[in-house]
Amino acid sequence: MSWEKELIEKANEIIDLYPEKRSALAPLLYLAQERDGYISDESIVEISNLVGITEVQVKSVASFYSMYKEEQTGKYLLSVCKSISCEINDSRSVIDSVKEFTGLENYETDVDKVFTFEEVECIGACGGAPAVQINYETVEGLTPQKSIELCEWLKEEKPEVVVAEELQNMFGGVKSFDWAINDNTGSSYSVPGFQNIGTAKEKRI
Amino acid sequence: MTDKITINVNGSEISTEPDQLIIEACEDSGIHIPRFCWHKRMDPVGMCRMCLVEIDTPRGKALVPSCTTKVSEDLIVDTESEVVKKAQEGVLEFLLINHPLDCPVCDKAGECPLQDQTMAYGPGESRFVEDKRHFEKPIPISEIILLDRERCILCARCTRFSDEISGDPLIEFIQRGNKTQVNTFPDEPFRSYFSGNTVQICPVGALTSTSYRFKARPWDLKKVSSTCNCCSVGCSVELNVSQNKMLRILGEDNDFTNQGWLSDKGRYNFEYLHSDKRITLPLLIDSSTQEVSINESMDLISNEIFSHKKSSVSFIVGPNSTNEEYFALNNFVNDLKEKNDNSENINIYFSDDYLYKGFFENQEKLGEIKDLDLADTIILWSQDIKDNLPTLYLRIKQAVKNGKKLLIFGHTNTAIKELTEHYFGEEIINKNFEFNVEISEIPDLEEFILDKNVVAILGKSSPIQDVEPITELFQYLNEKSNLKVLNAFSKGNTFGALQNIDCVKGLNEFVNEFDESKRNLVFTIGANPVNNSVLSKKIKDRLIMSDFVVALDMFLNETTELANIILPTTSYGEKEGTVTNLEMRILKQNKILPVPGSALSDWEYWSMLLNKIDNEKLFESEIELNSLMCDEYIDKEILPSFENLNKPQNLDGILNFKPINIEIENINLINLEMLFVHRLYGDSSSQINSPSISMLGSERFIEMNYATYFGSYMLNNDVVTLTQDDVSIQVNVYINDSLPDNLIIIPINRRGFQNLDPQKKVELEVANSREQLSVS
Amino acid sequence: MKETLLLTKHMREFPENSHKIEIYENNNGYDALKKVLKEGNPENVINEIKDSNIRGRGGAGFPTGVKWGFLAEDEDRYLVINGDESEPGTFKDRILLERDPHQLIEGIIITCFASNIKKAFIYIRGEYAKPARRVQDAVEQAYEKGYLGKNILGTNFSLDVVVHLGAGAYICGEETALLNSLEGKRGEPRLKPPYFPAVMGLYNKPTLVNNVETISSVPWIINNSGKEYSKLGVEGSTGTRIFSLSGHINNPGNFEIEMGKSFGEFIDTFGNGIKNDKSVKAYIPGGASAPWFTGDQLDIKMTIDDVANAGSMLGSGAVVVMDEDTNLVYAAKSIVSFFAHESCGQCTPCREGTTWLEMILERIASGRGRLSDVSLLIDICDNISPGLSWPPKMTTICPLGPSAVSPITSLLDNFSDEIMNMLPTKIPIAQ
Ligand SMILES: Cc1cc2nc3c(=O)[nH]c(=O)nc-3n(C[C@H](O)[C@H](O)[C@H](O)COP(=O)(O)O)c2cc1C
Ligand code: SF4
Ligand code: FES
Repeated sequence: MSWEKELIEKANEIIDLYPEKRSALAPLLYLAQERDGYISDESIVEISNLVGITEVQVKSVASFYSMYKEEQTGKYLLSVCKSISCEINDSRSVIDSVKEFTGLENYETDVDKVFTFEEVECIGACGGAPAVQINYETVEGLTPQKSIELCEWLKEEKPEVVVAEELQNMFGGVKSFDWAINDNTGSSYSVPGFQNIGTAKEKRI
Repeated sequence: MTDKITINVNGSEISTEPDQLIIEACEDSGIHIPRFCWHKRMDPVGMCRMCLVEIDTPRGKALVPSCTTKVSEDLIVDTESEVVKKAQEGVLEFLLINHPLDCPVCDKAGECPLQDQTMAYGPGESRFVEDKRHFEKPIPISEIILLDRERCILCARCTRFSDEISGDPLIEFIQRGNKTQVNTFPDEPFRSYFSGNTVQICPVGALTSTSYRFKARPWDLKKVSSTCNCCSVGCSVELNVSQNKMLRILGEDNDFTNQGWLSDKGRYNFEYLHSDKRITLPLLIDSSTQEVSINESMDLISNEIFSHKKSSVSFIVGPNSTNEEYFALNNFVNDLKEKNDNSENINIYFSDDYLYKGFFENQEKLGEIKDLDLADTIILWSQDIKDNLPTLYLRIKQAVKNGKKLLIFGHTNTAIKELTEHYFGEEIINKNFEFNVEISEIPDLEEFILDKNVVAILGKSSPIQDVEPITELFQYLNEKSNLKVLNAFSKGNTFGALQNIDCVKGLNEFVNEFDESKRNLVFTIGANPVNNSVLSKKIKDRLIMSDFVVALDMFLNETTELANIILPTTSYGEKEGTVTNLEMRILKQNKILPVPGSALSDWEYWSMLLNKIDNEKLFESEIELNSLMCDEYIDKEILPSFENLNKPQNLDGILNFKPINIEIENINLINLEMLFVHRLYGDSSSQINSPSISMLGSERFIEMNYATYFGSYMLNNDVVTLTQDDVSIQVNVYINDSLPDNLIIIPINRRGFQNLDPQKKVELEVANSREQLSVS
Repeated sequence: MKETLLLTKHMREFPENSHKIEIYENNNGYDALKKVLKEGNPENVINEIKDSNIRGRGGAGFPTGVKWGFLAEDEDRYLVINGDESEPGTFKDRILLERDPHQLIEGIIITCFASNIKKAFIYIRGEYAKPARRVQDAVEQAYEKGYLGKNILGTNFSLDVVVHLGAGAYICGEETALLNSLEGKRGEPRLKPPYFPAVMGLYNKPTLVNNVETISSVPWIINNSGKEYSKLGVEGSTGTRIFSLSGHINNPGNFEIEMGKSFGEFIDTFGNGIKNDKSVKAYIPGGASAPWFTGDQLDIKMTIDDVANAGSMLGSGAVVVMDEDTNLVYAAKSIVSFFAHESCGQCTPCREGTTWLEMILERIASGRGRLSDVSLLIDICDNISPGLSWPPKMTTICPLGPSAVSPITSLLDNFSDEIMNMLPTKIPIAQ
């Protein structure tokens, strides 16, 4: 299904931010992912028309970056870090327990489309190893037990917006630093919850 | 000319152009540096790392890719040091760990740089004990190209070619790192006029052609250089033959013309040579069709010619004969005129709707393709360049990439609109190809041409068009700029015909001069004017009215159907001769295939007929013809003799010039409703008898702008029935918003369209279902 | 040993709302900008930066003032802030983005003023969702308050800033890959030459690429002068740096200190010792690309040059400590596998070599090693980084490939018995 009118308008606003259309590819791919939970072929066609490159060029770029998904993700994208600081702080056990709880292997999504599980490289939370991200909201200082509780909670509560601080307080442990205190913003799908253009639109040059 | 500089390679001094890459400088001095990704006609990417060499730097020796590093005065390069060897062996091993061991079944084996370099530099035994990367084995990525991703070494040659050179980036890298693979978008096949080039430049067997797959081993191939006759660019090619079958055509790098590239038409249009539909014996058509001997057929024809001295004799020649053949025909016709009482009734007509007088008067104004590289501005008013002179399109594209400005006039060439600085369409030129404004008033024109180096590629956009405006443009440019002109006749050896035939007329003249009251004898020579021309219907009527028709052809077609005698002829590859390209460069065609059955080349027929007029005269051979032809050249220094042209250094041919005489009237109609254009692929006999590409010319479609489509006809389906009088055809509709309102583009080289009248409106009606679309 | 708070001052004082513009403004925020605009002399700004001797905080340690001086003339020039921070062990830019975005924005405006740039991009890795939101909000506020946009603070200097998210590719931290990425292309590093960003950068226009921490230092330097800054730290490594400390540490975190102290002192003072009172077996001094030091090398000084002389690099300022119980084969495997995953794939030695190394280590770790594997590992490394020297020589386009070599040489140079112990002791009889 082709893109809705509002989405195309938004896409065009984003395109206008850049000196060259093609630069808007990354944010447009996020729009696509927010809409469908992955980069669908229809969105690729749409984006290729919007920025004036071929479909396969869009696909080539999209597939280069690991945050653009080829298959539809679940409501919660569980990204467990396995890079060096987490690795030596036993992220393996966290990975194993999340896998066991969800029954998912790397990059898999459950049939109910609740969880997608992935092992990821460093998410910049090394001080709070082992760390995870839920829809790119970080939770640090996990234990295997706490990671299961976190999944259980998500499964039961099904929050629309995932708020890092809330999760950290409930399930996290040691933190990289005192981040985001009293910050109740969060992400609502497997894309960083982030608006490219805001109120300052008119004030731009 | 810049001063040369000296560099030191492996202890010896070599002299090189400044600004060259190390790999090129070494190559020119005979030092080969192994490489996979580098290709001299594309921007370097330095990806494969096979070409690493050591250079001396202020901070000691450094390992650098020779394909991205430029030479500098006194640079010291080592291409053979231990470090270099180790690095190259390392790269090779890396490339091989994931490369399948399927050389025994690979088309590339025997001419595979990876295979060769493994022999030369490679490790003995594999130290890789893990699983190789696996992909689905060859997948078709278009009708004619297959992709085997397991064999791919990710050199980015194909992706760069399609992006940088041909400008249709439909093949790309997908994924990253070790998962990287080349691929197309699922619903967007690699449909490019130039896709075959990627097969040729792929250093391994990852990209293959359906037509060549499993057909031969390189060591079984006989090879000869020649010149393609698909269009008048005159691309240098290498013909590859095994067991007397043409199996493959490769592009040869001729800096003057194609720089190694070919269109897919030029590359794949050869299977017809071995079609069992070819005519191999003369056919006599009375009440029935019967095979006759060559001698019988010659007797019959000479009898027809000489027993009626007042006959009008017309020769309709096609574009695929050699210069020598046109020369022989011209000689025969001149002798015939002498013999015949009414010489004005003996005429040669050239079978190309686009023919007009052209701009030949002033020899210094005639440009070369190379001039595109030196121009400031390129002006294009002609038929669709991408469809009709495809490799010239690549040169234009390259020139634009290098900063030349392209200005387009007319309603064709919309496919290359994105390359233009200015597209002078509807606002400047009306539907009938007349200027809406004074040329001098055209906004943004003067600044691009005034005192600039301008190359104008000029020709008719469509068979039916007034050429006056083009002439006006020519005169304006001639006045204001330093002008070079390329006459954009696109068919095969048109320029050879123009050079070697004393007077060439057009199809329109044939139609108009035809005098029913006379006895009419018509020869068609490698031409099928009953199809493919806007005048087809009228020509057909004339042929029916003729008393005797002789058709020289390879296949039965709409024209041979009306003949009394059909003489089997030969094709490129089966004869030796020269051809002349659109810059008047003479290039060699070589023979590598035997002639099928009793077929003869045109010249042999002319020779025999000449002999009938005057039994003193007979052309003995192509060589003799060539030397007779050379005798007529003014400049004896640079003769286009076989001997000269066969020298490798003369691969590019010799520029020479003989006066040209085209006697032609304008086909000047007004109120155009339809614009006839010629597409690269059509349903010519050669293409439909070449199975690998026959389907590419089968679709029937029309193009129009959005307003015409929705505004006038309120359609919402892309398959329509097109009706005019008693003609009714189902076609696909494509939107092309560069077109003026209410003008419909029709591909004239697809069957079914010839009977439309360009001045009358057509009715469009939504077809019931897609299935009805007939694809023949 | 104490922290010296230049860049992390606000966030220490206002743990809850240092990211808010009011807090920033009330604490000398945007004063440096006002000062610079009032003086109206771009040259002076560049001179202050040169005087400070600050070297880039992105990893390569290139003198920032010199880089600014290279910027070629052109009507269109760009500033691109490198906030791609993805080097394992590193999380110092995250704190600057999340906790003090206005400091960065002020730095950007001053930098652009100094170099006559009218468009800047802040490229933040996609996984930094919250930091990116905060920066975006801060940019909006800065527009509202007239620090960005047309005629900044009434002067005729104008500037637009766009926050751009990456999408999961470490290689986009490499500056030319980052520019490709920002142009909507695959994040593949470009060839140098000709693509030196200061000459041919974004859209082939002259472009400054600087790290978040580098540019965040600009307001302090302007407020306090380059001279003052250069007095901090030691010669060649002036100023403070935010070090990210992680691994087997009691108190991990980001600590801003003057350069010049020893790693041992740093780890003891701020890390509060090793977890469970273990000893240090090895540590990484500057992010995953850097060769490791052993527990015996804790007295190396934390300066760019000292670390380089000892055969590694201060890199991104990430210190990862591995205690005596760490399985270093696993550790090396984790790092190699990171680089294999993040290889862009364009050049052969990196694309094929890193994956091959990963496969071999994987095999060894799962008990299927072969005796020949050690020499094979060394030879593959040698084919990626000839001579295995430091700084690395490379057969690759960019330093990512050779980065995968560091952990292996580190392992084999100092801890070869760890890997030998995982290999079969007897040559197995051919099966
Ligand atoms: C593989 C690779 C990854 C890099 N990653 C980063 C990064 O995440 N952040 C960063 O600021 N610089 C990174 N750099 C360094 C940048 O290329 C560049 O030197 C830096 O952004 C310049 O800023 P600076 O001069 O302020 O340090 C990386 C370099 C390489 C080779
Ligand atoms: S070294 Fe690796 S990351 Fe760098 S260009 Fe080569 S393949 Fe890409
Ligand atoms: S030929 Fe130079 S890197 Fe490939």
